Amino acid sequence: MLRVNRTAVLALLIVSSSVFLLFQLHYYRKYVSKHPGSHILRPAGHLTPGHLTASQVQWQVVKKFLALVQHFKLPLFLTDTAVLALLSQDALRQRDRLVREPHCSFLCTGRAVTSFALQANQWKYDPGFLLAAEQKGFEVMELRGVDPRLASLDTLSGEDIPLHFLFRLHSHVIQVVFLYERSGNYLWHGALRLKGDADRSFAAFKVLDYGRYAGAYDRPQLILTVLDGLDIRVPRNISRFLAQQKHARFLECRYRDARNFLQLYPDDSSAAAVDFRRKAKALLHLTAQTLARLDVPFWLSSGTCLGWFRQCSIISYSRDVDIGIFIADYRPDIIAAFTDAGLTLKHKFGKVEDSLELSFLIEDVKLDIFFFYDNGDIMWNGGTQAKSGRKFKYIFPRFSLCWAELLELKVRVPCETLDYVTANYGASWNIPLRVWDWKSSPSNVQENGVWPVAEWAELIQVY
Amino acid sequence: METWTPNPRAKPFIPRQQRSLYLTWKYKLTNKRTIRRFCQAGAVLFLLITVIVNIKLILDTRRVASEDAAAQEYEDVIPNMETARRPANGRKVLDIEVYSSRSKVYVAVDGTTVLEDDMREQGRGIHVIVLNQATGHVMAKRIFDTYSPHEDEAMILFLNMVTRGRILIFTIKDEGTFHLKDAAKNLLKSLGSQVSLNLSWRDMWTLVVKKGGQVYGEKHSKSPALSTWGDPVLLKTEVQLTASEEAECHWADTELNRRRKLFCSKVEGYGSICSCKDPAPVEFNPDPLPNNNVFNVPVAVIAGNRPNYLYRMLRSLLSAHGVNPQMITVFIDGYYEEPMDVVDLFGLKGVQHTPISIKNARVSQHYKASLTATFNLHPDANYAIVLEEDLDISIDFFSFLSQTIHLLDEDDSLYCISAWNDQGYEHTAEDPALLYRVESMPGLGWVLKKSLYKDELEPKWPTPEKLWDWDMWMRMPEQRKGRECIIPDVSRSYHFGIIGLNMNGYFHEVYFKKHKFNTVPNVQLKNVGSLKKDAYEVEIQNLLKEAEVLDHTKNPCEDSFLPDSEGKIYIMFIKMESETDTSTWTELAKCLHVWDLDVRGYHRGLWRLFRKRNHVLVVAVPISPYSVRKPANVTPIHLEPPPKEEGAPVEQM
Repeated sequence: MLRVNRTAVLALLIVSSSVFLLFQLHYYRKYVSKHPGSHILRPAGHLTPGHLTASQVQWQVVKKFLALVQHFKLPLFLTDTAVLALLSQDALRQRDRLVREPHCSFLCTGRAVTSFALQANQWKYDPGFLLAAEQKGFEVMELRGVDPRLASLDTLSGEDIPLHFLFRLHSHVIQVVFLYERSGNYLWHGALRLKGDADRSFAAFKVLDYGRYAGAYDRPQLILTVLDGLDIRVPRNISRFLAQQKHARFLECRYRDARNFLQLYPDDSSAAAVDFRRKAKALLHLTAQTLARLDVPFWLSSGTCLGWFRQCSIISYSRDVDIGIFIADYRPDIIAAFTDAGLTLKHKFGKVEDSLELSFLIEDVKLDIFFFYDNGDIMWNGGTQAKSGRKFKYIFPRFSLCWAELLELKVRVPCETLDYVTANYGASWNIPLRVWDWKSSPSNVQENGVWPVAEWAELIQVY
Repeated sequence: METWTPNPRAKPFIPRQQRSLYLTWKYKLTNKRTIRRFCQAGAVLFLLITVIVNIKLILDTRRVASEDAAAQEYEDVIPNMETARRPANGRKVLDIEVYSSRSKVYVAVDGTTVLEDDMREQGRGIHVIVLNQATGHVMAKRIFDTYSPHEDEAMILFLNMVTRGRILIFTIKDEGTFHLKDAAKNLLKSLGSQVSLNLSWRDMWTLVVKKGGQVYGEKHSKSPALSTWGDPVLLKTEVQLTASEEAECHWADTELNRRRKLFCSKVEGYGSICSCKDPAPVEFNPDPLPNNNVFNVPVAVIAGNRPNYLYRMLRSLLSAHGVNPQMITVFIDGYYEEPMDVVDLFGLKGVQHTPISIKNARVSQHYKASLTATFNLHPDANYAIVLEEDLDISIDFFSFLSQTIHLLDEDDSLYCISAWNDQGYEHTAEDPALLYRVESMPGLGWVLKKSLYKDELEPKWPTPEKLWDWDMWMRMPEQRKGRECIIPDVSRSYHFGIIGLNMNGYFHEVYFKKHKFNTVPNVQLKNVGSLKKDAYEVEIQNLLKEAEVLDHTKNPCEDSFLPDSEGKIYIMFIKMESETDTSTWTELAKCLHVWDLDVRGYHRGLWRLFRKRNHVLVVAVPISPYSVRKPANVTPIHLEPPPKEEGAPVEQM
């Protein structure tokens, strides 16, 4: 009796669970198999990554993706550092000796990510593209952020703009970075920041080439090329692009703080101040042009750096423009280049080995160039008092350089701007000081002896 | 096991086999217990598998669901519609309170005040509120000052435009019947009002109805005497919300219709755009221009809170040949929802601006922020096209600009290119292919060069505390520096705005209504090269040579002043001793019915316009260098303002 019952119960259970399994099979096909992350129960004949190596998967995924891109006419180019590094001149030379897999020599880096950039102003945002990608089996993540081009205007608010697309297929991720045109003739991409509810395991975010910080790039010239049988646009000058990529970090001006500052201390709108700002802007543009031609990197220093950091503009009573250059980048033809550009040399203090400082004049605005010396944990530049020959030393904590925008110009500033400004102006940098003595006011100034009188003629040149 | 030795002689092989099967069967039967065990184990295993598959399924589904949620976060899928959807059987009821009195009206929906007006000296007339019958959202709010003439006609127009099924709420503040004609009263009656035909002077009245449906409530209090108002009335009623499916149309599921659906669920009063059967288009696909030089020029639309105007404006703009919607940005002064809804409907970019300062300075600051933002958003652009929300845009607007924009680069003496001719009225403009140079800044659809803005205008733009008009400021000699603008004879924009900062109905009727507006597509402009500084002088000299001097003894205001000819060139001379001696021109402008509020639209003391289809040159003597053309025997016309009080008390634009 009992046994029969048990059999019956079991039989009933089996029947019901088979029905249930069938239902689940149906459900599974309908909902889950759309998402390629799980490929059990997928129809056969599909690419099954189990049989392929990671690099082959990469090629397959990129191929599929590029077909989609072509269909939607996305102005895309390859920015993947690993692939571009293989493509750059030196690597190509070495490659000749290496025989690799014949079909795939570039797009098989074996990395989990391939990155592309999209020129945002050349593409009208089309939600159909993402839908199509999803239909092709890609999992899509779109990251948006505020439009920095409107952030500089205190009172405007636009819609969030797309910053990054991530596409995942067979656990290979394709990153598409949106490059936006900014005033100052450069391209900008935003930092990749996940919202609270985003899937943090979507990609190995730490290994992405782009998105750790915002970045700034020159507009690259592009060429269409064939890589492993796929048509791809790449930067014409790949090594230059890769060099830029390493130092592309961009700092947005702190517009909100600047606004608060300007509310406390309104900007001088007198004709003289407007005139100075116009001249200073022209001088800054001229400086950038001149030094770009010499390939000498420079950054905003002293008052000009403070102006950018504190009020996103030029301090109208500062009366000069200050820049810094690493002494390693010094070239003797700097002076000639500036005089050719129409500036006059006002003074030259110090020597390449010690406390070099140049000063130029155009109209009535001064350009001060301070050369910075690297001393291990600190960096410093020198100052000289012409009449007494006294030397001064201004000490800064070590810093690296970032891009920033000032007066429609892409310029470098110390990435650790707050430390830099605090070192120079003390903790109260946020309070305007009209009276300033370069020998005593800076909080990082140190007496540094006196130049030997015999060398004055050489080391203290005033014109 | 049973032992069995095979016998090679044994014949019956098959039965043996049968027997063997039988034995096996028998054996198995005797071992039923083992079998049962076996089956049971199998079943348990099977169940276990089911459980595992189940768990995996649950995990997978959860992952998929969370991905979906994440995707929705970014996709902005019609949020309102989704949240507004209520279970069909659990329909919600809205409590509505409507108050009507002499000095105050208010409407509260579910305890939320959606209208409150107790300001003195304003808000007189019938207030109308439209609610969505499925969500209870306010879709439109209007006041019709039916104490004044013609407002009842506007109300009829509006009520007819409202989709059937919407909930309409009416309430009167102060007085709303003096010019409420029978047509309007009948319409209200057909909507379900019991008392509309008896509404009279200073009555108080409230009504809540569903358009084409039931009446939820109506209250009325008669005014006892001419000098007093009816007692305040407060109507409290309940409205049953309907299922959202009933409130929506069933348009094909496309991207465009998704935008349309969202728009139509939020606002009312845009006519056929929300028609279920035959909706007006959202996308226009006008012809492209063959050689479009302005395809990549950004277009800034400066807007305030006049969403109906913006809608009309964007429709005409998006229908113009050669338009590039991607370059259009609408800058809205203030955080208003409805203008943004209009922008979204057309799939354009919208930017909102926190208002700074008041009145003219507010407009001026909005202009500055919008222009700066335009060049920020398009750093590689050298120009910007600046439009306002109360303009119709001509079909060949971009063609006109494409043919002329190179002049801005080639000629430093140019300040702007404008689509607007201040003096181009129906009776004074004739030739869509003709261009002029003028020493003023007409605005109303114009091109601004980036270098002009960045190097000159932006740094010294009037600060918020200066209550200046931006356009007046731009016209000042300190800014204009003697430069000129290119304008067409027949304007490529039409100013339709009646309400505005410096606008009213009368002003519009007199100065803007009769403005000529080009409707001809692809006009090939004449001699664009001759608009450059020196070439234009040659052109003018040729005209002067060719021109016939009119009879200066006749009254220039009479029609007979001009011969009954066509296509000829005439010249007349008027007296103007100095820049400030404007009386003759002003009087002439008045009788010609052109712009007479200030002196505009001239080039070195010369006005060019058409009369009776002839080109007429008006030369100011002696300040114009063209005065030398005056024959000695001709006395310049001199007109004095009539001694009566000055003309219409209207503000300048």
